[in-house]
Amino acid sequence: MTATSVRPAGAGSEIASRPGGRRPRVAGRPRPAFAAIPFLIPALVLVGALLLVPFVSTVYQSLTRDNGFTSTFIGFENYSRLLQDPTFLQSLLNTVMWTVGTLILPVGLGLLIAVFTNSMRGGRWLRLAFVLPYAMSGAATAVIWGFILRSDGALNQAIAFLGFTPPASGWLLEWPTNTLVMILANTWQATGVTVILFLVGLQSIPPETVEAGSLDGATGMRLFWHIVLPQLRPVTIVVIGMSIANSLRVFDLIWLLTKGGPGGVSETLAVTMYRQTFIISDYGYGAAVAVVLAIIVVASSYAYLRRQLKGV
Amino acid sequence: MIGRKSVLKRVGATALALGLAASLGACSQGSASTSSAGGSTLTLNGDRADFVDAYKVAGDALAELGDYSIDPRNVPSTENYQQVIRSSLQTDSTTDLVKWWNGYRLQDLARSGGLADLSAEWDTAVDEGWVNPDTKDSFSYDGKVYGMPMYKSYWVIFYNKKVFNDVGITPPTTWDEFLSNNEAIKAAGVTPLFGTQEAGWTSFIWFEEILSKLDPDFYSKLMAGEAKYTDEPAQEALRIWGDLYAKGYFTAPDIAWDNEPALFQEGTVAQVPMGSWRNGIFVTNGMTEDDYGAYLLPVIKEGTQPSVITESGVIAVAAKSAKKDEALKTMGNWLNPEVQSAWVNQIKDTSANPEVVTDDPTLTSISEQVAAEKPVELVRFWEASPPPLIEGGVQFLASYMVDPSEDNIMPTLEKLQDLADSEWAKWKAAE
Repeated sequence: MTATSVRPAGAGSEIASRPGGRRPRVAGRPRPAFAAIPFLIPALVLVGALLLVPFVSTVYQSLTRDNGFTSTFIGFENYSRLLQDPTFLQSLLNTVMWTVGTLILPVGLGLLIAVFTNSMRGGRWLRLAFVLPYAMSGAATAVIWGFILRSDGALNQAIAFLGFTPPASGWLLEWPTNTLVMILANTWQATGVTVILFLVGLQSIPPETVEAGSLDGATGMRLFWHIVLPQLRPVTIVVIGMSIANSLRVFDLIWLLTKGGPGGVSETLAVTMYRQTFIISDYGYGAAVAVVLAIIVVASSYAYLRRQLKGV
Repeated sequence: MIGRKSVLKRVGATALALGLAASLGACSQGSASTSSAGGSTLTLNGDRADFVDAYKVAGDALAELGDYSIDPRNVPSTENYQQVIRSSLQTDSTTDLVKWWNGYRLQDLARSGGLADLSAEWDTAVDEGWVNPDTKDSFSYDGKVYGMPMYKSYWVIFYNKKVFNDVGITPPTTWDEFLSNNEAIKAAGVTPLFGTQEAGWTSFIWFEEILSKLDPDFYSKLMAGEAKYTDEPAQEALRIWGDLYAKGYFTAPDIAWDNEPALFQEGTVAQVPMGSWRNGIFVTNGMTEDDYGAYLLPVIKEGTQPSVITESGVIAVAAKSAKKDEALKTMGNWLNPEVQSAWVNQIKDTSANPEVVTDDPTLTSISEQVAAEKPVELVRFWEASPPPLIEGGVQFLASYMVDPSEDNIMPTLEKLQDLADSEWAKWKAAE
């Protein structure tokens, strides 16, 4: 940690040369590296108490048989059970579907909406329609979509009103339909934040570069593809990174719409973790799912960000 | 490069702010489960918002008898509630009294050591004639009583009298009449039966009702782990259930459970199977005896022993309660007729004290039918087997409700049996 407090010489001189910048260091008194430690303690204590301790205790719990009252150490039995559990494998598959769906829909739509409403007249008002759902909680979103998607809900009533026959199987009852419609419901809510982030990115693009491109004869898609999009790369990295993390931890919408059912077919890892822990009271098994989920989230975020941030 | 970095910084800051806002928004107020109340009041934790006023009324009645009154708290979600109790019972920040379930759910809690022994208070209630001593097992673990019955709900079919009058039918006394009623109701454009898996637990209701009316003895053995889900009676029960689905008698399996009282009241659904505890909501919604009634589902084959599913919540005393002795003493009077009549008239359900009668006409009619038919009383599915088996089992039954076909009968029952094998083994290993 102390290594991060050592400032490269170049950056230091840049700040020192600014009026009102850092005072010049007193000669002959080299600052020891550990001088930063006291300043790091509050952050270390917070991260340690709120993140590391619970994580270590969850890892330990995943190696036990724990019903909430008594706990016995059983080694890796919970993990071997996971591999043989069809619900867990289904839940893994659904999690992958959510990740892919969330990458394509909210990110793609967010980019489109941001680009079109950025240069469009009255775009800021149109944009509100897409951004406002983000202000709603996941639970409220689920309640609204519940009204729409249930067999006696608004969607089927609308289909019947228009003279068509609603699907007999219902929207939330069969896999993969239920997972797909829930990804769509999530898109409705999650697109808002990607729109905001892409707009920040778009507004940070120096107008000279776009002007230069236009003068050279680039228009439309060509201008977008070769001039605008490359300059959006930093923001895209953040948006995709957030989307991956969000899709892996999606819970509230699924829990309120299907409870992961029927029969566990629409569960994701976060739902499986909750159900095993708090419904079945198999705390050890639930903790094992939590550890697997944590590994996937950290590994995918690390791999993605490490690769992407190299070039920035 | 510097330009890109500053863009990244701006984006990062915005993302952080938005993420923080989202996570703060997602935070909800924690539940207050802790601490004893001051003075001569006992705290009670429960998961039924509609019971909160009734706890106070019962507490006032207890206070008049010289005991402690009740200061109730409520955790609205049953799932969160179970979690709160499991963690708080192990600490001295538990409430003095805890609402819980009878049967295996009570045993699960009792064997953890979190509950105080109420055997002496139970024996007093039996001596006074305040409770049926035959029901003791349902409130015991290892020979000791750990909970006093809160109520005694009978599982019945509530029916909308207006729909029945319009169609020109009466409550069925045989299974054939039940079927012909459904046909007539359906022909009149009303959905005959309510059934949903939306709330999770609700998927066991029709399985339990049909199986217990088909073969009550098998139902008891199955619940006790002495028979197999793959046995013939269970197959037959799913076949009958699937047949009712095929005839189009049921609501869609994803219909919201919370909408059930409204659908029943407006006559969109003619009949709902539910414990008599549901009666309180119908009354609160303004339904009267002219609007609805209740009947016991007839046996499927003539000559079968009539049966009725029963359910009793319990009030237990936390072993680590700061006022354990006072709480035990107070629970000694819980089944006192004066307390019970105040309590059941508020919750609109049947008392576990056979001496106490309610003034509710529907409940009176249920009690009369039970007295006349003398059905064997069976423990509800929810409390009749180890909790992990039930919680896992309702998932498979929910899947069957979505695909109630002949081809899905054996796969459903085989999954249930596999789960039963593993969960019974775990339960017995922990004994």
